[in-house]
Amino acid sequence: MDAGLTIILLCSLVAASGALLGTFLVLRRMAMLSDAISHSIVFGIAAGFLMFRSLDTLPMLIAASATGLLTVLLTETVLRTRLVKEDAAIGIVFPALFSLGVILITRYAADIHIDVDAALVGEVIWAPFDTIFIGAFEVSRALVTMAVITLINLAFVGLFYKELKLATFDAALAASLGLMPALIHYALMGLLSVTAVSAFDAVGAILFVGFVIVPPAAAYLLTERLWTMIAVGIGIGVIGSLSGYFVALALDASISGCMVMMLGALFLLALLFSPSRGLLAAYLRRRRQKWEFAAQLLTMHLLTHEGHPDEAVEACTSSLPGHLNWGAAFTEKIIHRAQSRGWIDRVGEQLRLTDSGRVQARSLRKA
Amino acid sequence: MASDIPTLAINDLTVAYREKPVLWDIDLEVMPGALMGIIGPNGAGKSTLIKAILGLVKPASGEVRIFGKPYREQRQLVGYVPQRSSVDWDFPTSALDVVMMGMYGKLGWVRRPGKAERERALECLDQVGMTAFAERQISQLSGGQQQRVFLARALAQDAQLYLMDEPFVGVDATTEQAILGLLRRLQGQGKTVLVVHHDLETVSSAFDQVAILNVQLIASGTTAETLTPENLRKAYGARMLTRLELPTG
Repeated sequence: MDAGLTIILLCSLVAASGALLGTFLVLRRMAMLSDAISHSIVFGIAAGFLMFRSLDTLPMLIAASATGLLTVLLTETVLRTRLVKEDAAIGIVFPALFSLGVILITRYAADIHIDVDAALVGEVIWAPFDTIFIGAFEVSRALVTMAVITLINLAFVGLFYKELKLATFDAALAASLGLMPALIHYALMGLLSVTAVSAFDAVGAILFVGFVIVPPAAAYLLTERLWTMIAVGIGIGVIGSLSGYFVALALDASISGCMVMMLGALFLLALLFSPSRGLLAAYLRRRRQKWEFAAQLLTMHLLTHEGHPDEAVEACTSSLPGHLNWGAAFTEKIIHRAQSRGWIDRVGEQLRLTDSGRVQARSLRKA
Repeated sequence: MASDIPTLAINDLTVAYREKPVLWDIDLEVMPGALMGIIGPNGAGKSTLIKAILGLVKPASGEVRIFGKPYREQRQLVGYVPQRSSVDWDFPTSALDVVMMGMYGKLGWVRRPGKAERERALECLDQVGMTAFAERQISQLSGGQQQRVFLARALAQDAQLYLMDEPFVGVDATTEQAILGLLRRLQGQGKTVLVVHHDLETVSSAFDQVAILNVQLIASGTTAETLTPENLRKAYGARMLTRLELPTG
């Protein structure tokens, strides 16, 4: 298989399997647990290697899931003392395990291919060259592993979709219904560890977090249903991997680094331009409200002076900026707005309320 | 249900967090068809009592029985309305979907809700006047509307005993009326309802029975007999009572 295609597929699978689980981490505000787990598994990999004397897939996966659960359990134990807050508890546990892993590698396993640089950002470039045969097809070993992991994650989320949803939204109700949210939680963490160690060679400990958290965080801004959040998250992950690969070729830079950078860029786009929750939409909404309010204020002003001797002055376009303390351009804009809403008529410099404008102003006065 | 078996029987229940008792030796029996308010000052253990009934906190001693059996054998008979603030309303889902969550227990593991569940959920939304908001994202609902969605979810549980934690907190007048009407309807259907409540002024109009709690059970029984200045003083302390308009009925 073509090396470039292998890398793109492999990283897309990392992103897809990451987004499947990451969605629930983001919604449970446990995003940083993925950071903790992806670092702690360095300890798992080192300890697993020393115990089994091999870097085969299966022992690694077992060691990794054990370490992932150990991370969660240790964090909860520290937390249960009530002397340390949650973020600090995470920050205490994972560097300890990570550094222990680094020490084990440098002291006892210096001859194996793990080195500390690769542990951080991965070496996806090698993935296409370590191959196995499936029938007559020669395919990348990492790609096969990642495909299996993605299928497992997909099956887990598909089968336990309802349980995951309730455990995330309302763990108390889930527990009272007997749907064991704690078990779901540990299963999620176990799978996250397995996914992290499978993705480890490709993207490393730090960048894995980008694949798990950034796509769901962006999807969260773009969707209103859980399953669309998952689907859009996977989509963003794949687009980020694909575009990141070509950016990396163009810049001759780290592939996984460019992919996570592209994911960050996609998140930024979502943050700015999400139609419902984006910053631009919020800005436009606020500006529209401000204009609407000003146009309403104008109808009130006109109603107040309607039929009074000072009407000619107060309802005159040139006097409005002074009386309402508005800039001239803004005043002009608001007059246009009130006209287009059918609230006022303009005759030369004089403004008059229409019937509907009068109704509008009276309803405001009552409110 | 045979009417001589209490819906809820709590015997010598003590719950402690790190050796500090939150609930101390509670004995309480609630008969079918009761509409009971649970009142008491902050930190009295009202929410903990509900959580202990649901098995969400482990008692240090004592036991809870629902129609004569432990809770874990009777899950299907109990509906739960947690405090509205206990969940994140920015969760990406619709009002209808939240209501369907009430049926997850009966569905059991892995099985997905289908058309029947959807229709049942719509009926429950209708009972709280929220049909028009079925497909609305829950973050776009007002506090009162969110509370009504929670009530509809409990209705979807189709229980015999309903436990509600502060359903009247921060709701508008429409929702308050909707909740009161719903409580009466449930009672009319022979269901038993326990409501943690904080507003002393509305206790006697909303509930026939009341349990007054302050770590220990101060008193329980019909609202008229139980809601006395004496009992309230025991629960809230004398200083607090000078500021309260005591209900006389």
